[in-house]
Amino acid sequence: MEVPSRHRPLVLLVAVILAQVLLLAFQIRRDRDVRLIRVWSAELLTPLQRGGTFIVSKADAVWFGYIDLRNVRAENRSLAEQLGDLRLKNQQLQGQAAQAVRLARLLGFRQANADIPMMAAEVIGANADATSRTVFINRGEEDGIRRNMAVITPDGVVGKISEALPHTSQVLLVTDRESGVGTLLAGTRTHGVVKGTGDPLLWMDYVSADEKVPGGEEVLTSGEDRIFPKNLPVGWVASTKAGFPFQTIEVTPSAHLDRLEEVLVLTTEKSLDIHPAPEANSSSQQTSPDAKPRQNVNTVTKAEVPASGTPQQQAAKPAATKAVPAKKVTAPAGTGNPQ
Amino acid sequence: MDSQSQHIEVHKFYAGAVLGICFLALVLQAFLNRFSPRFGILELPLLVVVYFGLSRRNSVIGLVLGTAVGLLQDGISHTPIGLYGIAKGFIGYIASSIGARLDTEHPISRFILMFLFFHIHQVLLALMMRLLLAQHAPFFTVHLLISSLLNSVIGVFLFAGLDRLRKQ
Repeated sequence: MEVPSRHRPLVLLVAVILAQVLLLAFQIRRDRDVRLIRVWSAELLTPLQRGGTFIVSKADAVWFGYIDLRNVRAENRSLAEQLGDLRLKNQQLQGQAAQAVRLARLLGFRQANADIPMMAAEVIGANADATSRTVFINRGEEDGIRRNMAVITPDGVVGKISEALPHTSQVLLVTDRESGVGTLLAGTRTHGVVKGTGDPLLWMDYVSADEKVPGGEEVLTSGEDRIFPKNLPVGWVASTKAGFPFQTIEVTPSAHLDRLEEVLVLTTEKSLDIHPAPEANSSSQQTSPDAKPRQNVNTVTKAEVPASGTPQQQAAKPAATKAVPAKKVTAPAGTGNPQ
Repeated sequence: MDSQSQHIEVHKFYAGAVLGICFLALVLQAFLNRFSPRFGILELPLLVVVYFGLSRRNSVIGLVLGTAVGLLQDGISHTPIGLYGIAKGFIGYIASSIGARLDTEHPISRFILMFLFFHIHQVLLALMMRLLLAQHAPFFTVHLLISSLLNSVIGVFLFAGLDRLRKQ
């Protein structure tokens, strides 16, 4: 039977649909799958899917690894800037906090010693050479600063005014080679002289060789140099070196001389007007206000050496060491006021 | 009828374009569903079957192409082989027949035709599932309506894009 050509597509449609209906019926009836068609379909299409998956995964990696990271990079840059700003602010705040702590200590010290005229000053510079240990402060002659005035912090002795200029002053630190401070050991009240070495550590000299000096012992001002009030902390014993007739003691300064920012200048000369003991008054330099600091210290040292260091005094040492502070220093400890 | 059909242009495509687009539609259909089940609202194989049926205006080619695409869709789906084959073969045949008689180049006519073909396709699927597989399948739901509208809109743009693959 010949099908008219105009009906051939329709016949084909019916045939195709019928074939597929039979295929469906076969699958349902036998409960079996037409595996061949599935395999072919999968074989045809899965490579494309795999390729698509590969492309998408690569695009995904490119997106998240690069394109999207542009925002991350910009965000990272912004965060880094914020972090830098915050670090800067944090440092400023830490500096302000540290300054507040230092100023509070200065104020506390000032209030605790209200009867001592003193002036707060700011360290504005340091020495320009490697051999000396000096700093400049922002107070000068016009503020009442005079040469040889003591410069301290609540931690301890800093030094003394070596040059009083109109608006600034130079402070000779205790670590300078030319510096010297009349001191005593807090425990035994043994006197000596602390000298600068140019290094961070100080030397305490004129302490008898047979004097037992424990490490860590506190070193205080003796007040005998007529510059520093008595009992101000100078440092503590770091180590001792045997010698004859005097041992050399290394002293770590109490004041943080490597990071000075604010200091106190004891502006009174009256409070330091120590009334020397008769036997110590033998040297006119001791009482001379124009005497150089080094001379002052040396003078005091010389006056003090017999009291604690000479062989003759060793026998009478217990009496001497007790007698010297009592005889020489009449001002109350730490105040410098004459009594 | 014959004189009318002679005035309607039969479009031919570059070599491999038809097969490539059909494969791409099938791959994309499976591929997009992998990322989100929401892409299941699309019926890309149906769109290309309708497009090529309307363009080639040869009912045999439409039938064969629709059946092939449907069978491949069955092959990579969890449906009995032949379900989409019958439905899409029928749609390919109808689309080719209509394309030979009507102007299907205008976007509105394409939208309406796509909308109708989508629902015919769905009715065929539902019928076969009910009659042959004894499974309940709806003839019409709001979801299907939204899906048909969406596919019709996509079809308008897709058909315009596929027009560029035609030989001048």
